[in-house]
Amino acid sequence: MVTSLLSTDDLRQARVLLEASGLQFETPYDDLVGIFEAGRMVAVGARQGRILKMLAVATSHQGGTLLDEVVTELVGRGYQEGVDSFFVFTSPALAPNFEALNFNLLAASGKTALLEYGDGLKRYLARYTRQIHPGNNGAIVANCNPFTLGHRYLVEQAAAAVDQLFLFVVREERSLFPFGARMRMVQDGTADLANVTVVDTSWYAVSSITFPTYFLKDGDPGGAIQMELDLLLFAQRIAPHFQVRTRFVGNEPLCGTTAAYNEAMHRILPPLGVEVREIERKNADQQPISASRVRDMLLRGELEGIAELVPLSTLDFLLSSEGIKIWVKGETK
Amino acid sequence: MKIVKKAQAGTMQSSDLMVFLEPADTLKVTIESTVLKQFGELIRAKVDEVLQKHGVEAAEVRITDRGALDYAIEARLETAIMRATEG
Repeated sequence: MVTSLLSTDDLRQARVLLEASGLQFETPYDDLVGIFEAGRMVAVGARQGRILKMLAVATSHQGGTLLDEVVTELVGRGYQEGVDSFFVFTSPALAPNFEALNFNLLAASGKTALLEYGDGLKRYLARYTRQIHPGNNGAIVANCNPFTLGHRYLVEQAAAAVDQLFLFVVREERSLFPFGARMRMVQDGTADLANVTVVDTSWYAVSSITFPTYFLKDGDPGGAIQMELDLLLFAQRIAPHFQVRTRFVGNEPLCGTTAAYNEAMHRILPPLGVEVREIERKNADQQPISASRVRDMLLRGELEGIAELVPLSTLDFLLSSEGIKIWVKGETK
Repeated sequence: MKIVKKAQAGTMQSSDLMVFLEPADTLKVTIESTVLKQFGELIRAKVDEVLQKHGVEAAEVRITDRGALDYAIEARLETAIMRATEG
């Protein structure tokens, strides 16, 4: 029977079992469960948001149904909590064990494989099928926190070079401006460009699943692998569906994580058929325009200069009562 | 019967299936199965039959199957329907 692991002894046994399997006990988690046999833990698993992790079965008990039982319990409980899509990172060698449980392989690099339970990616792609037209199409993936004249310039340059440009707005809610607000700023700021289609990245690009370290201040060593999975997923699954041949990106003189991501893009995407075109950033006052510069000014209350960094549509939003609420709240954080 | 809330039934074990049900405006059924190629149509027919029997006309039904037999499909789906409709 699968039970919640709560006591100190439960946690100690979980740690021992994980370490014996070459894994680590990683906090935080939302749910931690295990299976005991004669007082000894023989299987363990945890869920953190949409990610299933710390999955291990004692070597003496492998080949049975213990992994199925643990994953069933975690998925069932997670679904009750409102999570309807689940992901697991594992070694490529173990990926078939999860595929047998109806997980779908999303991407695999040398050391890590990312799998999803259910057909979320397929359903996500199907949502946009009608908006895709064959041709020389391009893509930009951006957070737009908020949408600036720098984004606008990148979008204009890219749109002029292709038949249709897909502007993927990062869905993940880890930014000052919520997804809904960012989406509206992007739509309003690009409404006059006929060949630009604004879409949502869902969990499948630059999310806490594919690229968690993007949202941390400083990169960590795990970030490099996840960056790779994020780009593999883009090149192998997303770009072919949207018929995208070129991914456009602004050059990154400021942020280390983004600069490393750009570099990985040049390395990973072209061999998989997606050309990468880096576009020189637009400057204002000899400094590149960036969303973080706009946020800094908002938080310092320097509202006058912002008009030179963002389109009118963004400025209108920032100065609306809804917009003010967002950045004033951010200020007190 | 009207599907009023999310519900789930079944397991990931071999010869079983997981059923996820949630409210929707229309009837949408997606089936993933390790035996989809051989038995996809039969699974679908069984699912439609059970939904019809219980008068479920609008719902999002997601099924991930690992080779369950007819009566297992029926039992799991019925359990999910009960859970999704009871007050």
